[in-house]
Amino acid sequence: MLRAEPVLAARGVSRRYGHRRVLFDVNLEILPGQALLLVGPNGAGKTTLLRVLAGLLRPSGGSVERRGSVSMVAHHSMLYDVLTARENLRFFARLHGVARQRVDELLEQLGLAPRADERVAAFSRGMTQRAAIARALLPDPELLLLDEPLTGLDDASSRVVLDVLAALRDRGRAMAIASHQLAELMGLVTAVGFLKEGRLLAVEPTDGRGTDSIMGRYRSLMAHG
Amino acid sequence: MGEMLRAAMAIAVKDLAVEWRTKTALVSSLAFAVLVLAVLFFARDPTAVSAVDVAPGALWVTFTFAAMIGLNRAFLMERENRALDGILLAPVPRTALFLGKVAANLAFVAAVEVVSVPLFVLFYDVPLWDRLPALALVIGTATFAFVVVGTLLSSMVVRTRFSEIMLPLLLLPFLVPPVVGAVQVTARILAGRPLSEAAGWLRLLLAFDIVFFAISTLLFTATLDE
Amino acid sequence: MTQRDRALLFARRGTLVTAVMLVALAGVYVRALLFTPIERFQGPAQKIFYVHAPAAWSALLAFAVTGVLSILYLWLRDRRLDLAGAASAEVGVAFSVIMLTTGPIWGKPIWGTWWTWDARLTSTLFIFLLFVGYIVLRGALVDPEMRARYSAVIGIMGLVLVPFIHFTVFLFRTLHPDPILMKPDKPSLPGDMLLTLLMSFGVFTVLYVGFLAQRYALGLLEDLRDEEAAGHAVS
Repeated sequence: MLRAEPVLAARGVSRRYGHRRVLFDVNLEILPGQALLLVGPNGAGKTTLLRVLAGLLRPSGGSVERRGSVSMVAHHSMLYDVLTARENLRFFARLHGVARQRVDELLEQLGLAPRADERVAAFSRGMTQRAAIARALLPDPELLLLDEPLTGLDDASSRVVLDVLAALRDRGRAMAIASHQLAELMGLVTAVGFLKEGRLLAVEPTDGRGTDSIMGRYRSLMAHG
Repeated sequence: MGEMLRAAMAIAVKDLAVEWRTKTALVSSLAFAVLVLAVLFFARDPTAVSAVDVAPGALWVTFTFAAMIGLNRAFLMERENRALDGILLAPVPRTALFLGKVAANLAFVAAVEVVSVPLFVLFYDVPLWDRLPALALVIGTATFAFVVVGTLLSSMVVRTRFSEIMLPLLLLPFLVPPVVGAVQVTARILAGRPLSEAAGWLRLLLAFDIVFFAISTLLFTATLDE
Repeated sequence: MTQRDRALLFARRGTLVTAVMLVALAGVYVRALLFTPIERFQGPAQKIFYVHAPAAWSALLAFAVTGVLSILYLWLRDRRLDLAGAASAEVGVAFSVIMLTTGPIWGKPIWGTWWTWDARLTSTLFIFLLFVGYIVLRGALVDPEMRARYSAVIGIMGLVLVPFIHFTVFLFRTLHPDPILMKPDKPSLPGDMLLTLLMSFGVFTVLYVGFLAQRYALGLLEDLRDEEAAGHAVS
């Protein structure tokens, strides 16, 4: 495999919230075409790590170097409830300096076109999540960060989301996904990072390993660190 | 610079679109303005104090308190679903966010003022129409002053509990120079005096606008998550 | 030196300075009451001036220090600057209360009214209210880092606001002179009174430093307690 330049390199990243240390000395590189799954128990620092990588939080120590644009899909939709899906996307498109045409493309791609002119408030969880992903994809980011992207989605919505992400990965875009849903994501991810109590213990390629093998590794790492 | 203003404009237009959808803040502010104008009219002894004497104070109490109802709205809408993160992730300078919020808040308060002034003329029977340009000047400079400071403060207080109380508590000391100045100038305008008589007050208002616009713009990034 | 040692050192020195200064304050007052001549126009009421003016000075000094520490905090991001700024603000509020209570007591016999919208009095009132807001805001924020940044913003804004408020009240007064028995401006004092007043200013300034050191020490210890609590929560 060709050694590509990483789209993101985190070196010695730590983060505190007030007096609470949430991340310790995280070193991480994400390459183009890589889909990294971050696993770890609740409170391990997954969300904080993603927010630091996105640039929404400043690391308390260490540095994050980004090449190209970085987008994020979080728990919250980052959309305005009283505006329609199209209005929301058009607003963010203006901020990203992206043509309006791209908004229509993404609405189509994520299966939102028929309801694009309804308020986001009226959307189901699955629809909202798809709209949130459409928003994140507006600038065609080099790196997409996703925090629990499948939580609360039905099979149909999960399918749409996974297909979109797989297409992205195949186009050489990178992504990092924090999730508990290992089984659903196995077909998508190329590497797994294990996070425990704010430390990134290991990052390992999946290399065709099955869910059981990775779960076994997860349990042994969480038990012995 | 052009890019910054374009982003600021996009944010302001979006803010107003969100407000226009619900009109909650706008309707409450307008209703509040009418109530205050009416109540203050009766809060005097009509045999001793003529309406025109209390009119300037009434006008500015109405404007500032009606504005305060709307100011928190600008950042509260960003808290819901944390849309603010979406804006911060976009490649726009954070100052553009502040400028956009100030512009939207100015438009909001201006809308309240445009409705309040005719009511004010009607209720207080003040001869005003020929002095409208002068009044517009003082309303513009003073409104800018408290909207700029109020926008900065609301960016912080929406992160606290009791933000509805916290905003007036922090904002009122900053209202002293612009509101006292505006009342003084308004009183002279209503009395038919030349504007040059209030030159000192106008200078104070202008200086406040410039200084606090600069410092609020500088400090704004410190109010965002980091 | 650990944070606890430093805090305890500040606490000890602050307590010592405060104790010495309280004795000195008593001394100044003995001098003011017994050995300083009674002011010809104001009579014995003028004696309160030896507390009132220095307290006002200490309050404004405290707020100015908070403003400067706020600027330094946003620049250097050192948590101790925030703790010191907050300590200074609290001490400033305490001195403001002295200033705002002694002012009317003095004003009643001298100006003939408890309260007058004098420029200095009014400015101090609003600055006092602003820093009450500062303290309330601190209480409403949990994350110490956010609390520090937000407080610093208010501290800096307050520093800039002071001259504006003062000028506002000045413009207001020159246009609407109120009936006042005597000008609020200090009359040029004869030597004895001036010396007493200067001594009082000195005592209040050092007293401010003593209070500040103690409050800062308390802030450091609170900070330490929170840190230990957070440490326990993780492990």
